[in-house]
Amino acid sequence: MKFKAFLTDNGINLLEKRILPALDKMGKICHLYFTRDHAFFLHNLLNSDGVQSIAQFKKESLFTDYRISSQNDDKIAFSIDLSLLHRALRSILAIYAESRDFNSNGLQIKLVKKLPPHSTQATPFLTFEAKGYKSAVVQDVPISKPLSRADVQELQLALEVSQEMPATLVKAPDLNLLQNFVDRMKHVGDVMGVTVSKYGDLHLQISTTLITLGAEFRKLMVLGERANGVDGDGNLSAQTRIERAVQRQDAMTVQASVKHFFKCLQYSSAKPDCAFYGIAPQGACLIVIFQFFIPGTRQTDKSISLHCRLPVLDPGSN
Amino acid sequence: MSSSAAVETEAEAPDLVCELDSVQGIVDALTSVRWKRHQDAVVELSEHGIVIIVEETGCLQAKVYLQREAHGRPRFGASLGLFVDCLNTFSVPGRSNILELQYPGPDMQLLLRSVDSPDACIYAEIRTRIPETISWDYNFEPAGSTPLSFTVKSAALKEAIDDLEWPGSSIQIKLQPTPPSVIFKGEGHGDLQIDFNYYANTDLLIAFSCDRQISHRFINFHLACHATTTLPSASTDFANHRYKYKFLRATTSNIPSSVIRDNRGSKLTIGRGGMLKVQHLVSVAKPSIPHPHVDSAGYQQPSRIAYIEFFVKPEVEDESVNDS
Repeated sequence: MKFKAFLTDNGINLLEKRILPALDKMGKICHLYFTRDHAFFLHNLLNSDGVQSIAQFKKESLFTDYRISSQNDDKIAFSIDLSLLHRALRSILAIYAESRDFNSNGLQIKLVKKLPPHSTQATPFLTFEAKGYKSAVVQDVPISKPLSRADVQELQLALEVSQEMPATLVKAPDLNLLQNFVDRMKHVGDVMGVTVSKYGDLHLQISTTLITLGAEFRKLMVLGERANGVDGDGNLSAQTRIERAVQRQDAMTVQASVKHFFKCLQYSSAKPDCAFYGIAPQGACLIVIFQFFIPGTRQTDKSISLHCRLPVLDPGSN
Repeated sequence: MSSSAAVETEAEAPDLVCELDSVQGIVDALTSVRWKRHQDAVVELSEHGIVIIVEETGCLQAKVYLQREAHGRPRFGASLGLFVDCLNTFSVPGRSNILELQYPGPDMQLLLRSVDSPDACIYAEIRTRIPETISWDYNFEPAGSTPLSFTVKSAALKEAIDDLEWPGSSIQIKLQPTPPSVIFKGEGHGDLQIDFNYYANTDLLIAFSCDRQISHRFINFHLACHATTTLPSASTDFANHRYKYKFLRATTSNIPSSVIRDNRGSKLTIGRGGMLKVQHLVSVAKPSIPHPHVDSAGYQQPSRIAYIEFFVKPEVEDESVNDS
């Protein structure tokens, strides 16, 4: 089992400034999964509760000279502490930045097995290496034992399932605004009804015995199946409008945890260029997709993808 | 008028419809009187506008006056915490927030709705209930012909009361005319005394009013409780009452720091029987846009200010029950 690659400057920037700090907010521990063409950061894919988060990078968007080999169809997965990974990367960058001439290929990253001090058993590490003028710096980030063939298979399967797309996606309003809003909303209740309509409506509502608090965002951009709003709906209250749209099967509602909803919004710190909300077929889960543009353009960068799947609560459970 | 007609009229014209254009200020004002997580409030409409009243049975009462044009005289109870949390959701920074308040809704709810953007609407319905009668009438009467009061910078008052947490238990507030000063003294786990001297610190103590004759009668029954004070003699001590620390603390501890930074004064008045009234002003104007009605002296339209009043009953001492 071998993995060795060089992180490009772009890759370093992307991981250090944007992706790692954001992923860390989703959960400290995640699976890092390398295949021949992709690198994935995966949260909660092997256990069903909690938000599933899938960050996928084409190898070229992070690495050059990417070499991987394993007996399991060149797939390697292990779990890693994101805050340690982030810290190691930050610390080695200080040296790396000063000695770019020596590291023309970029920052080396590889999988190693080492004998830690006071131990007789070799343990696996993800190692960063940068050469300086007078010294070389190595940062070892401890990782779990690589996942077994069966576990990798399961991870791969979960990953394939997670690619299922909602029929309708609506573009989220300004993420900072939405984050601010949900941050305040979460004081009022724990469960939020989320409705996505084919007219381009996103409706959030917390309803308890004492209070109903909601927000309706209309005329959002729609991807996938769409429908024209019904004349006269404009004069109705937000709640009636949504109810009618659901009756006409032009909208779907699911109940999600406010905490989960807010957690996903924290991905705005990865500075995505836009986000979309959608509901998986049969209301299986709520899906948030973050998109990144190719720098300087309005075109989606297909080499990076970041999305979350929020578990849906049984409507009877609140 | 037939009953059905009456119902119809009610449906057409709710008791209360008003627009609030500075939600953050109102959140600040209401937060100032939120001294615990679950707190019931009574909302009243009166000639004073919208009045929100909260109380701790028999000891502490707070009123927030939002000066709004309002018709009718509805009165209902609601959870203060939910109301504040809910209003707070409406005041997301980065967007203007004009909010329409309506009561009653079809199920006697309090209805809130943002009205500033057609494509993004925030709404809320808060359950109301029949209000409990206010358990204790906090009728505040002056303790004589001239008021016994002082005005101090809110920040200084808050700091002093925060500092008094260390001795805790009960706090004496004394006003003495010569030299004009206010003394906060805590006696509990230890002693701590904080003096505001009018002449030494005119910046902090903005106004002071303490009259010899009216406060005279406080002397006798309070001699016992300050026998160990550092005053030269008991005869210079004119008004002296003890308040439970936790109630005194409630009058300042929840004022948001943004309000404290406004650098206004808080007025404390001691009334008959030692009832303490603490008054704060909270600006409910939009801070970013100077209001045309604010003149150079900082005068603001009454509707741009929320008045907050706390009433704190003194600790009952056997000797001080009959002071009339």
